[in-house]
Amino acid sequence: MTSQIRPTTSSPCPLTRTRLRIVGQSGSGLLTVGEIVCKALQNLGFYLCADREYLSLIKGGHSAFTINFGASPVHSLSREADILVAIDKHSLMEYHDSLVPEGIFVHGYERVQGISDILDSMKKKKVNVVSAPARTLATENGGTVQMTNMILLGMTWGVLGFDFSVVGDLVREKFKKKKGILEVAVKCLKAGFESVTDTAPCRLQTPKKKPKTLLLNGNHAIALGAVHAGMRAYIAYPMSPSSTILEYAAHMARDTGIVVKQAEDEITAAQMALGAMFAGTRALVATSGGGYDLMTETVSLAGIIENPLVIVLAQRPGPGTGLPTWTAQGDLNLAIHSSHGEFPRVVIACSDPSDAFTGIQHAFNLAEKYQIPVIFLTEKVIAESNMTVPEFSQKNIPIERGLVEGKKLESLKSSDRYRITKDGVSLRWIPGSSETHYFANGDEHNESGEIDESERTGEMYAKRMRKLETLKKDIPEPEVFSVKENADISFVGWGGSLTVMRDIIEMMKERGVKVNYLHYQYVWPLKTDLLNTFFVHNKNIHLLEGNYEGQLGTKLEGLTGKKFAGKLLKWNGRPFFIEDIQKYIGKALKNF
Amino acid sequence: MDKKTVETLASCADQYMAYETDQVMTWCGGCGNYGIQNALKRALVLEKIKPRDTLMCFDVGCNGNGSDKIDCYTIHGLHGRVLPLAAGAKIANPKLTVIASAGDGATFSEGVSHLVHAIRSDYPVVFLHHDNQNYALTTGQASSTTPVGCHKTATPDGVVTENLNPLAMVLGLSPSFVAQTFSADVDHMTKIFQEALHHKGFSFVQILQSCPTYNRETSDAWYSEHVFDVEKEKHDVEDIWAARKIVENPKKLPLGILYRNPQKKNFLDSVLHRDHLKTTLTEEVRHTDISKFLEKIS
Repeated sequence: MTSQIRPTTSSPCPLTRTRLRIVGQSGSGLLTVGEIVCKALQNLGFYLCADREYLSLIKGGHSAFTINFGASPVHSLSREADILVAIDKHSLMEYHDSLVPEGIFVHGYERVQGISDILDSMKKKKVNVVSAPARTLATENGGTVQMTNMILLGMTWGVLGFDFSVVGDLVREKFKKKKGILEVAVKCLKAGFESVTDTAPCRLQTPKKKPKTLLLNGNHAIALGAVHAGMRAYIAYPMSPSSTILEYAAHMARDTGIVVKQAEDEITAAQMALGAMFAGTRALVATSGGGYDLMTETVSLAGIIENPLVIVLAQRPGPGTGLPTWTAQGDLNLAIHSSHGEFPRVVIACSDPSDAFTGIQHAFNLAEKYQIPVIFLTEKVIAESNMTVPEFSQKNIPIERGLVEGKKLESLKSSDRYRITKDGVSLRWIPGSSETHYFANGDEHNESGEIDESERTGEMYAKRMRKLETLKKDIPEPEVFSVKENADISFVGWGGSLTVMRDIIEMMKERGVKVNYLHYQYVWPLKTDLLNTFFVHNKNIHLLEGNYEGQLGTKLEGLTGKKFAGKLLKWNGRPFFIEDIQKYIGKALKNF
Repeated sequence: MDKKTVETLASCADQYMAYETDQVMTWCGGCGNYGIQNALKRALVLEKIKPRDTLMCFDVGCNGNGSDKIDCYTIHGLHGRVLPLAAGAKIANPKLTVIASAGDGATFSEGVSHLVHAIRSDYPVVFLHHDNQNYALTTGQASSTTPVGCHKTATPDGVVTENLNPLAMVLGLSPSFVAQTFSADVDHMTKIFQEALHHKGFSFVQILQSCPTYNRETSDAWYSEHVFDVEKEKHDVEDIWAARKIVENPKKLPLGILYRNPQKKNFLDSVLHRDHLKTTLTEEVRHTDISKFLEKIS
């Protein structure tokens, strides 16, 4: 594969992409190591994408922090690694196979007989093994066993061949409030670094230009986008992989004055957000599939009282508790079809931190302008993957609320609130802003919100449904990446699939294969004009989805009458790795 | 009701009429809801709270059918969920007077967790618990407050499960305001609702509500014989143990303020980082500068 680098002792590594994987059990300090390496790489000017794979437990179990980095943008991850750093044996057993032949294996074991089988297989793969007695080094430098991770961090940085100070400064920053262990941590880091510098197998060049990037994950981007868009209340019940939005929001509360409430359950969170939006502020809730199930009655209520509501649904594999810490695109149908009754809604799916930041702002605007629930889909791999993205611009997306304001508030009639209009949208004003009150009635109602069970209620029902056609004009068509026509192979997908396709398009271009990709960000209501054109101009179109049923594909085939040439579907909790797409393309283009 | 209050009310006829609608009432003759809404409108008028500043949040049930019979901002939500809905609205705009009402089915079955946490969080909301001891709108099934032995539509041999005691339960949750009143006594309800509106935290008002259609066991006449005014018994409203004691007897029902804790910090007062802000969340919707947070990740 073109992305693969083969670090050797003899020559500097090429600058395409380096794939580093650090493995260790949960609780071993793996996350700290991974995050510091990411920040250090960003500080050196690298682009990177990093994800943590872990089990749903707090201590033990296998866990991996994978970082792909390079001097040009990196959006997705490889399944394989060029450099494997092992903090413990259990995780090594799980992940040693992912190291490529001639790769580098960094470890700190002192009783190597315990991993002799693995070392033998690595020898066959001509792996360059770099080791140091990590535990001894940690204790010699005044640390506990927990400090082994600082030894490994030092070794990793040494193996990459970068300047010590970059990582040294970050460790000082990290431990600055823990004076007792700061010096020990730095000593251990240095000891690890120096243990490998003489034999460092890899001297990576640092990028000549340092791009202006942000390093963050999708959940952080959602929290930032929402706060920027005027979200003043965040209410949630913790559920992986949405929980860190609650943490980011809580950490922003003091500076921004937002109210953050951890509610007693998801029903409460949704209801409080609905009430807060009704009273005229912007509120947000986030959850995962199971929590969203509980919110669905509230989504339905928002539908009939025509109240804005924005819910982030962070997908993980179900059903049931499923795989709590892994990724999926399995809840598209849930987002589109959840809740009793028929009512208009918008479903937006983000793909990376950049469009999570902008998308959530659009979500608020659409929810308010059209007085509807908006479900904002993300996935574990977006929610928790750290990625370098171009800097965010503020105030780029105006705040659109669709509220009656100023003098007009004085001439309202109660029946304006649910007036039967051509486009389905009626006037909305904030309670307390006008002498004219209205009834927001969860029972079917007339234009003033009074309970109405007559035959005429069908008109109110239809009025609400008409909003779907109106708002459809306001949302964008899907986007085509790479060439518009005559691709050797084309894909259609949504959500996080965009990141892997961005990288695949570039890689395949180098090999002379024309790949293009049609991406749906607005997954409901579905616009199909561009898709129809795409089918006219491309002959080999495949579906790409992280679920078993091909949920989007089934809908698109139904709407357009077109058929996909093939489907690449994945539902084992892992995201689409670069290798998955490469292998699929290889099979689909037989002579390739 | 004393003469002065009657005179005040008489002079506020216009304000009272502002809360009236031209909707046809759909409650049964003799239903407690007539008196409750009447007393509520009186209390709002006497407290000089205008319809434009009032948000009534209704649960589903017979009381919810009053959602279009009081002319102010109203929201008629889902069964059991009225408390978080009301809390969300109040947090967004504390300038609104937010009143939530729900029945015994909603409060002590479907949404019992919301009650527990509304009391714990002390949201500044007035909560009117319409306890008519049955699910009336679904035609008279037993609720968790129906006494053992009562014959209801889905319990032809009589209720066998011990009923909950709403007041005993609420008093076990460190509330800040608990009162009980009675739907046939409009004057008493008016007074209690006014007190609840004065309270700065979560006001739990238990209304012993008659249901002439489905609850023949505890009629207005029955209640009249079994209630007593705690004020006349020199009850100490800040003594929670005294309150717990007087709510234990199912045949001797206390009316009045049973417990009040003026020291408890309500939810809004506990959000300390907003102490310096005079605006409401509703007034603060605009682009918020996030440069400070972006710097940390650049």
